[in-house]
Amino acid sequence: MISYLLLMGTIACFSAILALALNFQWGLGGMVNFGLAGFYSLGAYSAALLAVKAGANVFVATAGAMLVVGAICGIVALVTLRVAEEDYFAIVTLGVGEMLRLVVLNEDWLTGGALGVTGIPRPFGPSVASASYPIVQFGVAALVLLATFLFLNVIARSPFGRVMRAIREDEIVAATLGKNVLWARVRIFAIGGALIGLAGGMHAYYYQYIDPTQFTNILIAYAFMAVIAGGRGAHAGTVWGAVFVIVLLEGSRFLKDFIPGVNADQLAALRIILIGIGLLLLLLFRPQGFLREYRLRTRPEPKVNAAGMVTADR
Amino acid sequence: MNPVLELSELRAGYGTGDILKGVSLYVERGKIVTIIGPNGSGKSTLLKTLIGLVPVREGDILLNGQSIRAFGATRRVRAGLAYVPQEYNVFANMTVLENLQISHEFAARKGHRPAGNVLSDELRELFPELAGKLATRAGNLSGGQRQMLAFACALSVRPDLLILDEPSAGLSPKYMADIFKSVERVNKTGVSVLMVEQNAVEALAISDQCIVMANGRVRLDATARQVEQMDLHELYLGPLAEQAA
Amino acid sequence: MITQTLFNGLVTGAIISLPALAITLLFGVLKFPNFAVGSIVTVAAYAVFALNVQLGWPLLVAAVVAAALCGAFLILVDSVIFRPMRDSGSITLMVASLGLGLILENLARFFYGNAARSFDLELSMPFRVGALRMNSEQLVAIGMSALLMLAMYVLLMRMPMGRKMRAIADNPSLALVRGIDRAQVIRWTWMINGTLLAGAGVLIGMDRALEPLMGTNYLIAIFAAAILGGLGSPLGAFVGALIVGTSSELSTLVLPPGYRTGVPLCFIAAILIWRPQGLFGRPLIRR
Repeated sequence: MISYLLLMGTIACFSAILALALNFQWGLGGMVNFGLAGFYSLGAYSAALLAVKAGANVFVATAGAMLVVGAICGIVALVTLRVAEEDYFAIVTLGVGEMLRLVVLNEDWLTGGALGVTGIPRPFGPSVASASYPIVQFGVAALVLLATFLFLNVIARSPFGRVMRAIREDEIVAATLGKNVLWARVRIFAIGGALIGLAGGMHAYYYQYIDPTQFTNILIAYAFMAVIAGGRGAHAGTVWGAVFVIVLLEGSRFLKDFIPGVNADQLAALRIILIGIGLLLLLLFRPQGFLREYRLRTRPEPKVNAAGMVTADR
Repeated sequence: MNPVLELSELRAGYGTGDILKGVSLYVERGKIVTIIGPNGSGKSTLLKTLIGLVPVREGDILLNGQSIRAFGATRRVRAGLAYVPQEYNVFANMTVLENLQISHEFAARKGHRPAGNVLSDELRELFPELAGKLATRAGNLSGGQRQMLAFACALSVRPDLLILDEPSAGLSPKYMADIFKSVERVNKTGVSVLMVEQNAVEALAISDQCIVMANGRVRLDATARQVEQMDLHELYLGPLAEQAA
Repeated sequence: MITQTLFNGLVTGAIISLPALAITLLFGVLKFPNFAVGSIVTVAAYAVFALNVQLGWPLLVAAVVAAALCGAFLILVDSVIFRPMRDSGSITLMVASLGLGLILENLARFFYGNAARSFDLELSMPFRVGALRMNSEQLVAIGMSALLMLAMYVLLMRMPMGRKMRAIADNPSLALVRGIDRAQVIRWTWMINGTLLAGAGVLIGMDRALEPLMGTNYLIAIFAAAILGGLGSPLGAFVGALIVGTSSELSTLVLPPGYRTGVPLCFIAAILIWRPQGLFGRPLIRR
C-alpha cells in the first residue's frame, strides 16, 4: 500500500510539473499550448534516447530534454506570436504537437516507431537498494517539484515577472514603455517548454520504457483540468489540481468493478468520456473569474464578448 | 405630456464603477433632443445603455410608457428604437444594398412595411448618393456616405425614437450640414430624435431640447433656445468642470 | 502520375471543404475555433452507419436523417455547453470544444469499438477515364461536395439568413442593434454545421472506412484549409480546402506517406508568417 502511494506520488510530482508548465505558459504568458502532449513526448523521447543510445546519465539526459523542448517552444513562439491572436496560436500549437506525434511514429529508426524505446535505466539504480527505491524515487521527484515551484515563484516576483504582468494587463502600454513584448513572450514559452521537457524526462525515467500510446491528447485535458481545478493565480493551486486529477484518474481505474459487461476497450473509452465530462463541468461551474484573469485585454476598456455585448468584469 | 422616452435614476456601467450615476430625463414625442457635455461624461454610454449594449444596474427605461429595461437589444429595436453608433456603424464587408436589405427585412417582419423597394422613395430622396452605390462594399464608401447609409438603415425600421451618437463626427462641413438637414426632415415625419453631439452649435440649431451631462449625471435640462444663449465655453469649462472634479 | 495525384487531391479537397466551411462559419458567428469538428464528423458518420447498416435504410436516406439529427444534437450541445460560456472568451470555448471532442470520439469507440466498418454499399469497381483511375465513391464525393457548396453559396449570398450570418460575423454588436436575432442565427449555424459535417462523415466513410479516429485524422487539414482561406471566409474555406487537399496528395510524391498530415501544418505556419488573414480574409480586428 505504501509502495503504491509512493508510486502515485511520484507520478503526481511530474504531472504537477507538466501542469505548472501549462499554467506558466497560459497563466503568465497568455499562450495556450494545445500541443502539450506532443512536446511532453518530445521531452520523454529526448531523455530516453540520450540515456539509451548515447549512454548519458540522468542529469545530462534530463537537461538535454529540457533544452530540446525549450528551444522548440521558443521557435514556435517566435514564429507564431507575430500574429497576436490566441486562436491562431492555439491552432498552431495543436498542429506542432500533431507533427511531433507523426515524427515519433514515422522515424522508427530513431524512436522505435510504435514500439517505442525500452530499457531506460533507473537513475540511481546501482546505488539504491531495490526495496527502498520507491521512496528514493519519490523523494527525488518531490525535490524536483519543490525546486520547480520555487523557481517559478522567484520568476513571478522578479522584474521579468513584473514585465509579464504588465504585458498581461496592458500590452500596448507595456510596448510603449519599451518592453519587448514579443521577446518576453518567447522567453516565457521557452521556459515553460523546458519545464515540459523536465516532466517528460521524469516520465521516461519513471516508466523506464516509452511508446506513443502514453502521449495521447488526453494529456492536455488532464493538464487543463489540473490548472482550472487548482484555482486562481499562484502555482500552489496548480499542484493541488494535479494531485486532484491523479486521484481522479486512479479512482476511475476501479470503475470496472462497478460496471459489468464492458470489455477493456470500452472501459478505456468510458474513462476518457468521464474525463471529458469532468473537464466540461469544471469549465461550466468554476467561477468565470478564474479564466478571465488570463485574458490579454487592456483593463480600462469594457469587455465586449462575441455578441458585442458589454460584459461585467469580475 | 406623452414622452416617447423616459429615464428614471438610470445607473449603468462597465466593470466595477458606474458610469451613469442616476440619469433622469425624458424626450417628448416628436422632438429633437441633443445631449452635450465634456468627454467622459457618459453621453455615449447613455446611448449604448438605451439600446441595450450596456447592462442597466438600477433605474428604468420607459419607451412609449413601456419598460424596456429587461429587453435585449433586438427586442428594443422591435419596440421602436433605432441606434446609429458613432463608429463601425455599417457592415463594412457587405454591400450598401445588403446593409439596407437587413434592415428592410427586419422592418418587414416587424410589420411596418409591405414588401417594397429596399431603398424606398423616401430614403432615396433623403440620401440620393446611396442609390448609385448599391453594389459598393460599405467599407469602401467615404465617411459621409457611410454615415448616410447608417442613417438610412436606422430609418428603414421606422423607429419611434432615433438615437444618434455624434452623427456629424469626422464629417466634412458639407456632409455635416446634410446630416443635420436629414435629421430635421426625418423628425418632421414624426420620428423623435435623441442625439449626442460635440458640434453643439449646429446641433442645437435644429434641436428643441438640450441636456447637458457631466460626470454621469444630468446637469442641465433646458430648451435648446435657452442653452444657445449661454456661453458654452463657460458651461463646459466653468461650473461643469468644477462639479465634475 | 501527377494528374492522378491531382485528381486524388481534388477528391480530398472536396471532402475537407465541407468541415472547413463548417468551422469557418462557426468562427464567424461564435468567434472560436471548434476543436471538436473532427469528432463530430466521426459521430455523424457512425449515426449514418447505424441507420444504414443496422436499420437497413438506403444510404442517402440515412445520410439526410443523420444530418438533421446531427444538427439538432449540436443545437442541444450548444445550449448546454457553449451558451453558458459565451462571455468567457475563446480559450474557454476552445478547451470546452476539446473536451467535447474527446467525449464524442470515445462514445464512438465505446459503442462501435476500434475495428473498421463500412457502409452498406455495393462494392464499386474502379474504372478508367483516359489516364485517370477513379471509382464512383470519389465522383460522389466531388459531386456531393460541389452541390453542398453551391447550396451554401446561395444561402449565404442570396438569402436573408445568410446575410444575417455574414452581418454577425462582420460586426456582432451592430448586428444586435439592427435587430438580428442572434439566437436564431446561432441555431441555423449549428444546423448547417450538422449538415456539412454529416456530409463529410458520409464521404469519408465511403472513401476510406469508419473508425473512431476517422474525423480527427483530418483535424489539422480542416483547420489549415480554413486558415489558409481566411477564418470566416466561406469562399476561402473552399479554395483553401482544394489547395490543402491537392498539396497533401502531391506531397506523397516526395515525402513519406506518414507525413501527409504535416503538409497542412506547414501551410498554417507559412500563412501566419506571410499573410495571417488568409487568402480571402480581412485582418482580424477584435471589437
